[in-house]
Amino acid sequence: MSPERTPVPRLTVTGYALVGLLLLIGLIALSDALRLEHPATGPLTPEVAEEDIDPLREEVPCPVAAGREGTDREQATTLPALPQEVTSNQLYDCPQFYDGQTILYTGEVVGALLARDHGVWSQLNDDVYGDVGAPLPTHRDFRGGNAGVGVLLPADIAATVGVVGGPGFHGDVLRVTGRFQRVDEATGEVAIIRVASAELVQEGRALEVPDSPARPVVASIAALIALAVTVVERRSRTRR
Amino acid sequence: MLFRPDAGDFRLILLYTARVVFGIGLAMVVPLLVCLAYGEVMDAWSFLLTGSIAVTVGRLAEMRLQTRRQLDASHALAAVALAWLTAPVFAGVPLFMSGHYASFLDAYFEGMSGFATIGLTLANDLDHMARGVNFWRHFMQFIGGQGIVVIVLTAFSSGAARLGVLYTGEGREDVILPNIVRTARFIWRVALIYSLIGTGLLWVSVVAAGLPVLDGLYHAGNLFMAAFDTGGFATQSTSVAFYRSQAVEVVLMVIMTAGAFSFALHYQLWQGRRDVLVRNTETRTIAVSTLVMLGIMAIGLVRTGTFDAFGPLYRHALFNTISAHTTTGLGTVPGRMFVTDWGALAPGVLVAAMAIGGMAGSTAGGIKGIRLGLILKGLRSDIRKVLLPENAVVIETYHTSSRQILRASQVRDAALFLLLWLVLYLSGALLGLFYGYPLELSLFESTAAASSGGLSIGMVRPDLETPLKVAYILQMVVGRLEFISIFALVGYVMSVVRGKV
Repeated sequence: MSPERTPVPRLTVTGYALVGLLLLIGLIALSDALRLEHPATGPLTPEVAEEDIDPLREEVPCPVAAGREGTDREQATTLPALPQEVTSNQLYDCPQFYDGQTILYTGEVVGALLARDHGVWSQLNDDVYGDVGAPLPTHRDFRGGNAGVGVLLPADIAATVGVVGGPGFHGDVLRVTGRFQRVDEATGEVAIIRVASAELVQEGRALEVPDSPARPVVASIAALIALAVTVVERRSRTRR
Repeated sequence: MLFRPDAGDFRLILLYTARVVFGIGLAMVVPLLVCLAYGEVMDAWSFLLTGSIAVTVGRLAEMRLQTRRQLDASHALAAVALAWLTAPVFAGVPLFMSGHYASFLDAYFEGMSGFATIGLTLANDLDHMARGVNFWRHFMQFIGGQGIVVIVLTAFSSGAARLGVLYTGEGREDVILPNIVRTARFIWRVALIYSLIGTGLLWVSVVAAGLPVLDGLYHAGNLFMAAFDTGGFATQSTSVAFYRSQAVEVVLMVIMTAGAFSFALHYQLWQGRRDVLVRNTETRTIAVSTLVMLGIMAIGLVRTGTFDAFGPLYRHALFNTISAHTTTGLGTVPGRMFVTDWGALAPGVLVAAMAIGGMAGSTAGGIKGIRLGLILKGLRSDIRKVLLPENAVVIETYHTSSRQILRASQVRDAALFLLLWLVLYLSGALLGLFYGYPLELSLFESTAAASSGGLSIGMVRPDLETPLKVAYILQMVVGRLEFISIFALVGYVMSVVRGKV
């Protein structure tokens, strides 16, 4: 900066900064006003049980301790007689304990069914959006990202899946019985369930995504303004 | 003494920032078309709305902010920083309106993570996200990886001679060709050619993995952008593990490695100089570093007993090490299991790999191989000086495009940057500790955000504390721009507040 120039007064800079801030707030307010018209009150998904401990801040007390360098891995000595109902978070928190155990797991089929020689790969999500709740963007109940487990389905079970979850669709919710494999010996995949049997809990369906009637109107007006400003700017540039 | 900026300074900075906003607006045509192709009409309106606002801002600025003043280094650096802070605001609007983000801050975080090719996400229910919106997440990485400022300005600005400083302000150091416009066009040519080859290979791989053909093209395009631009976003919440395919992983490893090469190296390879791969100090440093990291990780995983067989150990260790070292962030293992099943050493290696990062002048982040290489060579030189007779002359050399003598000032600069990077990594980790997260988690996520590493062990999630979200956003932009541009912008603010004249 050369010293002979005239600096802008601080008050003017502050004024312009405030205008900029107001424009930013206006843009955010506009995008908020034009969000999809979701049901006004109440979560659509069932109440989620509060976890006793925060696994990100505290050590999860697993029946078998997590593996550490230089220590032999413990084996679960007393396994439950019947398959336990588990969540994906439990499987990831205590993978050594559940490794090789037959478990019960419920989740929504999402993504795709990837058919291979040894079976059909898919993903079962048991988060609040997948299990029996409603996926986004049909509501505004934000409770975390995605949680699920990869599953290897026998071809005959995979053939019964009617709807795979994804954009615009809530997939079939399956309750599967199978063996959790921390590392699957045959395929080398990590943290999967080899499914033995499955039961359809809830059929998949197309989602009714809410509308935002004002959005097309405002977008059309904005597009016309952009077009007009572009034309005016080009003409003024030609004159210059 | 600090001089207060005058109207011309502000006009220039805002004009160039508005040009970037204009470019982002035009770029929204692409996701708009994807939305229309998939019948996602409401999201198409979002992109039309935001794109129109961005174009209007850009054109109004062209009309109102023109000045005869010439762009100098301080303007350029401040404009780059302001543009990088502004672009995610516009990018975040269609994300926010998609209904998958709890707040505008989350959408802004996603926009910054996309442009800065970080890969950390705050998206809720990614597996049900509209395809056009999900495509936009990946397309932001493609735009940001090449450099949003340079690309927009070289496409829409005349007088390219002054644009070189914008290029360096965006964290790039080597001008490959004599003209900055030709350099930027070369970068685009490389990216587009790799796009065709990489997307094609990935398309074949994902279809072979079981995806339908058209879905496969969509996934392949997204995967390519995430891998080549070392971004790390994924179409599905399970990242690369979704495909359950070693073929996909092999293709991705090649693309990630290509993405972590500097564009200068691509240019030399383009000219048939394959020997530079072996002679280049930076490629050698990264190759050695990758092998060392892989070795340590294997030791850690064996000692922890994570894998019983060599095949799965090698597969997952190699993929995740390359993903971390190239600062991509794609993963084959659920992030939580890095904590509960990988012991302490292996995740530590991932942190170190992300911290070092890829090559300078590439789409990768982190400290960069060349700086590490220069510091190590400087250290070797000092040791040799101690061991040799007092009157011995020790000359150390390094190789980039040609063999050059290493100067003490270069080692000092590299060490200074190393120090800045370490401070950046630690600052986010300290804030994580303040909020009660354990050290290893805090350091992992902080390094992932600052280095653009993007691997996550679950801390970055929609209900993360707001100050941590803000801190990670700052780490992302400071890391992507490699400090100087942000310092320049802060300098401008300081000169307004404290300037005397």
